[in-house]
Amino acid sequence: MSPGELFRFSARGLSGHGLRTVLSLLGVTIGVAAVVILTALGEGARRYVIDQFASLGTNILIVLPGKTETSGTVGAGGVPNDLTLDDARAVQRSVSAARHVAPVSMGTEQVSFGERRRQVAVLGTTHQYKDARQLLMQRGSFLPEEEMSRGSAVVVLGPKLARELFVEQEPVGQVVRVGGWRMRVIGVLAKQGVKMGMDFDDLAMVPVSTGMQMFNRSSLWRILIQSGSHSDIDLVKEAVRRVLVDRHDEEDFTVITQDSVLSTFTAVLGVLTLVVGAIAAISLTVAGIGIMNVMLVSVSERTREVGLLKALGVGRRQILSVFLTEAALISSLGGLLGLGLGWLAITALVRLYPVFPASPPAWAVWAALVVSLGVGVIFGLLPARRASRLDPVQALAGR
Amino acid sequence: MWELVKLSLRAIIAHRMRSVLSMLGIGIGITSVILLTSIGEGTRLYLVSQFTQFGTNLLAINPGKAETIGIPGALGGTTRKLTIDDSEALERIPGVEKVVPMAFGTGRVEANGLGRSVFVYGVTSDVPEVWQWGVRIGSFWPAGDPRRSTSQAVLGPKLKNELFGSANALGEFVRIGGARFRVVGIMEPKGQFLGFDLDDSVYIPIANAMRIFNMDELIEIDLTFTHARLLESVEREVRRVLTERHGGREDFSVTSQAAMLDVFDNIMNIVTMAVGAIGGVSLLVGAIGILTMMWIAVGERQNEIGLIRSIGATRKQVQLVFLVEAATLATLGGLLGVGFGKGICSLIRLAVPGLPVHTPPEYVVLAVSVSLAVGLLAGVTPARRAARLDPIEALRAE
Repeated sequence: MSPGELFRFSARGLSGHGLRTVLSLLGVTIGVAAVVILTALGEGARRYVIDQFASLGTNILIVLPGKTETSGTVGAGGVPNDLTLDDARAVQRSVSAARHVAPVSMGTEQVSFGERRRQVAVLGTTHQYKDARQLLMQRGSFLPEEEMSRGSAVVVLGPKLARELFVEQEPVGQVVRVGGWRMRVIGVLAKQGVKMGMDFDDLAMVPVSTGMQMFNRSSLWRILIQSGSHSDIDLVKEAVRRVLVDRHDEEDFTVITQDSVLSTFTAVLGVLTLVVGAIAAISLTVAGIGIMNVMLVSVSERTREVGLLKALGVGRRQILSVFLTEAALISSLGGLLGLGLGWLAITALVRLYPVFPASPPAWAVWAALVVSLGVGVIFGLLPARRASRLDPVQALAGR
Repeated sequence: MWELVKLSLRAIIAHRMRSVLSMLGIGIGITSVILLTSIGEGTRLYLVSQFTQFGTNLLAINPGKAETIGIPGALGGTTRKLTIDDSEALERIPGVEKVVPMAFGTGRVEANGLGRSVFVYGVTSDVPEVWQWGVRIGSFWPAGDPRRSTSQAVLGPKLKNELFGSANALGEFVRIGGARFRVVGIMEPKGQFLGFDLDDSVYIPIANAMRIFNMDELIEIDLTFTHARLLESVEREVRRVLTERHGGREDFSVTSQAAMLDVFDNIMNIVTMAVGAIGGVSLLVGAIGILTMMWIAVGERQNEIGLIRSIGATRKQVQLVFLVEAATLATLGGLLGVGFGKGICSLIRLAVPGLPVHTPPEYVVLAVSVSLAVGLLAGVTPARRAARLDPIEALRAE
C-alpha cells in the first residue's frame, strides 16, 4: 500500500466510528488545552514581573544597611553602623560609573490639608530618584536639585493622595502638614500604580534630610544607584562596596542588583510553570490509555479485515503502520483541537484582563504537539502489534 | 438484582485488558490528585506547626498602620514611637500574662578572634515563656526594669557553636556592636522559622540593643494572654490603651497569631485546591475513557441486551447493569489510585524526610467517592443508550 492509501484506510477506520473517535480525541484535546492554558498563565506571570521591574528603572543597585550570612531577609531593623548621607555623597563622588545616586529614607506619616487627612508612606529622597525610577510628573515639578543635607520644606504627592486631600482643587502651591511639619506642595506624580509592593500613587515624597529629621532616623533606609550601562553593573557594585567598606571598616551593608532579584523571580516562575505544565501533562498519559483501549477494540473488530489484507499479501509492517497511523491521527487531531481551544481561552482572558500578558511560550506549544503525536504512536503500538501478529487463517475465520 | 450485578462483573472480567486500562485511566487521575493534595496539606501542617511553636495565645504589635503599606515593622518611623512605656501599660490589661518589648537588627558578634554577622534581638527575660522556647544551659539575665541595661547575653546554639565550638561559653565575653557582653545562657535549638535561622542569633537586654542600634522606638511588642477565648477582648483593650497613649491615633498594627494562622491556612487551602484541580484534569480525561469504552460495550453486547430484555428484564434493570459496570470500573480505579498515591507519598517521605507530605483520611474517602461519582456520570449516557434499545432489533443485531 502507498502512503496515500494507508492514510485513507486509517481515516476510513476512524470516520466509520464517529462518536468513538471524537471521544478518544477529546481526551487529548483536554490535556493539550490544559497544558497550553497553564503554561500561558505562568509565562504571563513571568512577563508581568519583568514589566514591573523594567518600569522601575533599569541597571539599578540597592544598598541596604545590615548584613547577615544566614538569612535572605536583610534591611529589617537597625544596625550598629548607620548608612548615612555622607556614605551616599562618597559613592556619588568616587564611583564615576554611577549615573544616579539617590539616598532614601522611609516612614509613615499623616498628611493633612485642612480637615482632610491621610496616613501614607513618606519617602525622603533627592531629585535623582525621579530619573533612576523613571517617574513621570502629572503637574508641577519633582524635588529640587539641592545639597542632600539641605532639606527644604517641599513635598511631592502621589496622584491618589493628591485627589484624596484636594479633591478638585489645584494642589501645587498649597501648604500641607506632613506629621507636624508645614510643607509646600510643588508637584504631583503621574499615575503609576502599585509596583513591587509599593503604592506609588498613595505616598508623599520629601527631601531626604527632611525625611530623616521627620522620622528621627540617623540611618538611611536605602541608597539607590543607577549605573550608566548594563555592562557596568558589576563594576559599580564592586566600587560601591569598596567605598563603603573603606568608610565603615567592615561590610555591615548589603548591595543587591535589581537584575539579580529579577532573575531569581523569573527562575522561580519558570520552574513553577514547568511543574504545573507537567502536572497537566499527566492527563495526556490518561488520554493515551484511552486511545490504546479504543484501538484494541478496533483491532478485534477488524480481525476479519486484517485477515483478508494478510491473505492478499500485505506485510506485517504495513498492517502495523495502518493501526499506528490511525492512533497518531486521533492523537494529533486531538492535539490540534486542544491548541485551538487553549488559544481561544487565552485570547478571551487577555481580552478580559489586558494587564496580564498571558501567552503560551513557544516551547510549550511545540512540546504539547509533539507529545500528543507521541502519545498516539506509543499507546498505539501495542494494539498495532497485536493486529500485525494475527494469523491470517485464524483471522479470516474471525477467531 | 444480584443477578444483574453478577452480569456486570462478568463483563468486566471477560474483557480483562480493556477493564484494566479503563481503571488505569481513573487510577492515574486519582494518584495525581492524592499526591498533589498530600503535598499541599503537608505544607499547610508544616506552616501551622511553625507558627504554633511560639504558642497560640500571642499578639504582636508593630508601629505603623498596615493599611497604608504592606510591611509595617520594616519601615517604622511614626510620629508617636512605640516605647517601653507602652509595653508596660499593656501589662496592666486584664488577661495579659507577659509582655516582651522587642527591637532587633543585624550586628557582628565577636569572640575568640572569630566574628559572625547575626540577628541581634533586644528583649526581656520573659522570652522563654512568651515564645515557648527554653534555655538549654544557664538562664536569661534576672528580670528587672527593662530600661536598665545589663551587659549580659544569651546565645543561639548555632552561634555558640560557630564562636566557641564545643568549649564552654558560659561566663565568657563576646563583643556585640562594639560593646562587651557576658554570656549567661545558651538557647535550645529551634531551627528555621520562615527562612530566619533562630539558632543563629543573640539575645541581649532591650535597653542595650536600643543603644547599639541607636533606636528610640521598639520594632515590636509581643504579648501572651491567659486563654484563647480572651483574644478579642485583649485585642480590643490593646488597641484602646495604645490609641489613648498615642494621642487618639491608631498608628500601630496588632496581629494575632490566630489571624496570621488563618491567612496562611486560607492561602494554602486555595493553593492545594488549585493544584488538585489541575491534577483533576486527568480524572476528567479518565472519565471520558470510561464513557468511550462503555459506549463501545453497549454496541458490542446488543444481542445480550436483547436477550435479557426478552426474558423479562426491564429498561431500568438494563440501565443498572451498565451503570454498575461503569461505577465498578471507576471505583476500582480510584482504589488503585489511592494505593499508588499513598505508596508514592511514603516513598517521598523515605527519600526526602524534610518534605512534608500528609494524606488526611478524609481525602482518601473523598477520592474514592469522587471516582464512584465519575463512573456513574460516565456510565449514564451509555446505560441510557442500552436501555433504549428495542429488544427485537437488539436480538437481530450482528
